[in-house]
Order: sequence, then C-alpha cells, then structure tokens
Amino acid sequence: MDALDDLMARCAMRDQRAFAELYRQTSGRLLAVALRVVRRRDWAEEILQESFVNIWNHVSHFDRVRSAPMTWMTTIVRNRALDWVRRPKHETSDEELDGIVENWADEAPGPLDRLRNAADSSALAECLGTLSGQQRQSIALAYLHGLSHSEMAEHLGQPLGTIKTWVRRGLERLRGCMDATSA
Amino acid sequence: MKPQNPDTRSILAAEYVLGTLHGQARRRFEHWMKSDPALRREVGRWEARLNPLCDTLPAEQPGPAVWKNIEARINPPREAARAEKTSWLGSLAFWRWTSFASAGLASVLLAFVVVSTGPSDVAGPEEAMVVVMEDSETRNPSISVAWSPEGRGKPKLRIRVIGHAEMAPGTAWELWALPEGNQPPRSLGFINTHETQWVEVPEELRHQLNKARGMAMSLEPEGGSPTGRPSGPVLASGRCLKI
Repeated sequence: MDALDDLMARCAMRDQRAFAELYRQTSGRLLAVALRVVRRRDWAEEILQESFVNIWNHVSHFDRVRSAPMTWMTTIVRNRALDWVRRPKHETSDEELDGIVENWADEAPGPLDRLRNAADSSALAECLGTLSGQQRQSIALAYLHGLSHSEMAEHLGQPLGTIKTWVRRGLERLRGCMDATSA
Repeated sequence: MKPQNPDTRSILAAEYVLGTLHGQARRRFEHWMKSDPALRREVGRWEARLNPLCDTLPAEQPGPAVWKNIEARINPPREAARAEKTSWLGSLAFWRWTSFASAGLASVLLAFVVVSTGPSDVAGPEEAMVVVMEDSETRNPSISVAWSPEGRGKPKLRIRVIGHAEMAPGTAWELWALPEGNQPPRSLGFINTHETQWVEVPEELRHQLNKARGMAMSLEPEGGSPTGRPSGPVLASGRCLKI
C-alpha cells in the first residue's frame, strides 16, 4: 500500500489532516488536468475545489482493489471538467483550439516524449507508438484537452466520420496492444 | 438499446472515458453503468489504461484560496461546534446515539461510573471511551463501541450494531483504530451483525486504543484485509469520545 492509499484510508475515517496532505500531494497534478480541458485558470480552480469536496464526501466509496487513488481522483476532476466545457457559455475560442491542435500535430515531439519519460506509463507510451499519428493525435486531443469529435473535425479540417474512425480504430488498437503487454 | 457485444461495449466505455461520448449519449451510458457492474469494470480498465497520459502534464500550483474554500466546505458549522465541545455529554453525537440506543444506555453508563482506580499494566493512564460510528452513506449512527479498560477480567470492546444489518457472503467487517498523528490504522479484529457483541483487545493494542482518535469499520474479503490496512470501502466511522 503506498502513501496515497494510506491517506485515502485515513480520509475515509474523516481524518482532516490526512485530507490536507492528500491535497498537498495531488492538487498540482489535478489542477493541470482540469486546466488542460477548460483552459482558464479561474474555471480550473473552481473545478478543483468542487472535485476535492466531492472526494472528501465520497472517499468511503473508494475501492482500492478497483482503482488506484490517482486514477480515481483524476476521473472525478476530468468528468467535472468535461461537463463544464460542454456547456455553451464555456466554449473555447477557435484560435485557442487551433493552437492546441497544432501542439499535438504528428511531428510535434513534446507531449509524447514526456509520456515516454513519465513513470508507470511505459506500456501506454509504447502502445501509443504503434498507432498512426492521426489516431494518436485524436486520442490525446480528446483525453487531455476535452475536444469533441466535431471540434476535432473542424480544426483538423477532416470530415466528422473520418475523425470518429481515427478515434475508434485508435482505441481498438490501443486496447489490443495494452492487453498483450500486460498479459 | 444497450449493446451486448463485448467489443462494442468496450469501445463505448473507452469513448465515455475519453470524453467523446457526450450529451444524451453520455447520460444514457451513465444510466446503463448504474445497473451493469461489468460495464463499470470496463470503464475502470479504460481509466487505468489512459490515466498515465495525465502524467505528461506539468503540475500547476493552485492559489491559496482554493484550499481555504475546500476547508470551509468540509467543515460545516455543525461539525466545528461538535469538535469544540469538551463535554461528551453535550455532544450531538451522544444525543443522536441515545435516541437509538437508549435501552442500553443505563447499563453502559453504570459500567463507566464504576471505574476502579487500580494500577494499570500499560504505559499511560487508560481512559474509558465511547465511539458512535456513523454509516458512511446515510450518516446515521450504525455501530457504537464502548471501551472500559478497568474492571474484572480481560477488557473487551462492547459493540452494538444498530438496526438490522446484513453482511454479504464471502465478506468480513473489520474494525480499525485510527491513531493520533500519522500512524496507519490498526486492526482491532472482526465484528458480525449481532446486535450486541464483545471483542477482546490484545494486550499490545490496548495502548493504541488509548491513543486512538477514531474508529472505523471497513468491508473486507473473508479472512480480513489482505494488506493489513483497510482495503475495501469504509462502511462506518466515528470519533473516540473519552469519558
């Protein structure tokens, strides 16, 4: 059981010092997740705040057999951020989206290099490497930046059907590769 | 119509996690998940597969107001007031507890009034205490624990399970002491669904119990937590009230 598991167990027992420590250890990474999706710091901080209240209220339902603490918390933050960004008044400007899409273009090495270097992600990095550049880009844009199929279609200049196929084929190949790696 | 084909279900789960399933399709998928544990597991597998992507993001420091707001939200006035009370008799938890366990109250009080002053065989003075554990979901009192270290025979925790509890086959209820500071929870043993029961406290745990801040009960596989720490969901927890 690592340190986060321990903190979660103590939070479930309403230990507020453990919760403060959990916040100290994870809020920076979770804010980064929210910020990528909603792209405005004040919105991202609001999502982080709501998420941590949610984490405190539901930590007794956390089941470490089913998921790792960081995965569980990231899911809470991402779901909130996705709900947020889908509301019409929170939509991102076209210029901003163009910039994001550019950053994940096939030849841009930055984000994928970071993934290869990140701990615990070698299987994902390796398997993303087996995808086509278009499949990889569309999965990263959706997962990290919360782009919808139609936003990707517009900013990548492709028909909606093509984007949907990239995403679906990419996911299928990713699953096959990761299952083979972990087997 | 909910898909049955495993590949279709898996890809839908992936698109749900990815966020490309939205609007009504997303809500409908969430509705299916509620009654479909296999679908929830598939979603969990996709979360685990994709989560390392988040490790690529450089951390961002939130402003100080965020934590202040969170702290204020998780500490509603009722809780703060409860923490400030020094008298356990005046505490809300006590009064809530009495309404559920009034029949047992007289005997519990009697047991604590007759406190001998004989020498204790562990370091530090041992104090009697009660814990009213609240159900994690309903916040209603669900289990009370009374501890009276002094007295005849081996000291035991007196456990009362409030209401008609049910335990799923193949599972166990493990009781934990939460020590002060940064110490990990310590297992106190197992309880069952009987209304009144006694749990013997091993000598080496008496000191831990004396210093415990709270107690909790977690759902574990038969035979107890495989990790030595609570591994399943915490079903009930509460503060120790020294008396």
